[in-house]
Amino acid sequence: MKVLKFGAVWCNGCLVMRPRFAEIEKGNPWLKTEYFDFDKDKEMVNKYGIDSGVLPVFVFLDKNEQEILRLSGEVEKKDLIREINTNKDK
Amino acid sequence: MHRIIFTLLTTIFLSLSAVVQVQATSSVTAYLFYGNGCPHCAKERDFLKKLDEKYPQLEVKEYEIYYNQKNNALLQKVATELKTEVGGVPFLVIGDKSYIGFAEGITSQEVESRIKECSDSACADSVASIVGQQVNPEAKPSVSPEPEKTEQLKTPVNTKTISVPIFGTVDTSKLSLPVLTFVLAFLDGFNPCAMWTLLFLISLLLGMKDRKRMWALGIAFIVSSAGVYFLFLSAWLNLFLFLGFIVWVRLLIGVVSLGAGAHYLRDYWVNKRGGCGVMGDEKRQRIFLKLQGITQKRQFLLALGGIILLAVAVNMVELICSAGLPAIYTQVLSLSNLPSWQYYLYLGLYILVFMLDDLFIFFTAMITLQAVGVQSKYSRYSHLIGGFLMLIIGLLLIFKPEWLMFG
Repeated sequence: MKVLKFGAVWCNGCLVMRPRFAEIEKGNPWLKTEYFDFDKDKEMVNKYGIDSGVLPVFVFLDKNEQEILRLSGEVEKKDLIREINTNKDK
Repeated sequence: MHRIIFTLLTTIFLSLSAVVQVQATSSVTAYLFYGNGCPHCAKERDFLKKLDEKYPQLEVKEYEIYYNQKNNALLQKVATELKTEVGGVPFLVIGDKSYIGFAEGITSQEVESRIKECSDSACADSVASIVGQQVNPEAKPSVSPEPEKTEQLKTPVNTKTISVPIFGTVDTSKLSLPVLTFVLAFLDGFNPCAMWTLLFLISLLLGMKDRKRMWALGIAFIVSSAGVYFLFLSAWLNLFLFLGFIVWVRLLIGVVSLGAGAHYLRDYWVNKRGGCGVMGDEKRQRIFLKLQGITQKRQFLLALGGIILLAVAVNMVELICSAGLPAIYTQVLSLSNLPSWQYYLYLGLYILVFMLDDLFIFFTAMITLQAVGVQSKYSRYSHLIGGFLMLIIGLLLIFKPEWLMFG
């Protein structure tokens, strides 16, 4: 499983989520993540349709790069960990 | 001979006593401009009724101005004639001397001594000609060529005190307006999603090597934003001080307040997860490009001027979108009977609280050299509290405006 993180330097929620996700990554070294800037990485932004709704957006992909889950906004750490553990083997 | 002397003395005595009698019973007219529902006005009216019974030479003329536009216009004419500003009601005029507000023990004593003064030696009465009443021909003009100064309240009326541990005795009538200012300004300012320009600027500043330049540009942006907001609030306040006596303005702002309350409560209910909406791409990109260009200018003064201009422009646009709370706050502030400097002091306090989250974000980033965010769940709670407060203020503005008169 892999998590794509979409955020922006001007987005308050993204700044809130940055240290929160960093802690999760530190506690789960097996977790693969990639960060995409909303303003710079337009190709990925368009591919995953991030141009509407709220930021940040977390897209969970399975082993076949298929989207299995999408979370947005300021997500609580415990909720993120729960989702990560649920989808760990996908 | 004795008879002539007796007649002469009698004539002189009678003439003197006639003069004394005329002087002692000079009629005095008190002009009271008041508003229905204003508690200070009600107290002053009761007080004047008692004086009316005590002094037969006193005539009290009352003019209601909240609902009567003719009387309101009359008040403006009187103020112009007396060369004074009408900061609120009750507004009492006795012999060209005006009194704004009413405080038992202070205004009451001054008013009574003024009545005695004008009874003893008739005072000039410029208001009589304005209200279409005959002027007392014996009236003497004021000694000073300047109009008599307006007496302002020195202490608030209805002093209500409560005992609070640590703080001791607290006067709630003095506390209410600062608390209201704090809550409304916090509600107005605590919107992390609206800080996108500052956050982008911080991301640019953090990439700079020159730390002095970094601080200077950031502070210039924040101070300019605060300045624009201060001017905006001042404009609202002066508009309400000018129009404040018109009842439909108060009712309109009351309805706006109810709408704002419903909006905040809806936001609390709907936006449970927080997060910031993705706003117009083009507009954002345009501002970001300008910010980038400005911060990269080699000449410091050009960069400083550019950042100030951009802050003004960005905030002007934002202000149009968020006029509700400032309008409600300044309407409530204008209902309070305060000296001018206190009005602006309250606006200053409002701005400071309004900018608290920006200041926190900026200073934290500048000191730690790392951009930080503020959890929007706190913003949600402020919307919950603020929503209820807005509903209460709206209802009070419509049905019980006197409860919002703090001064």
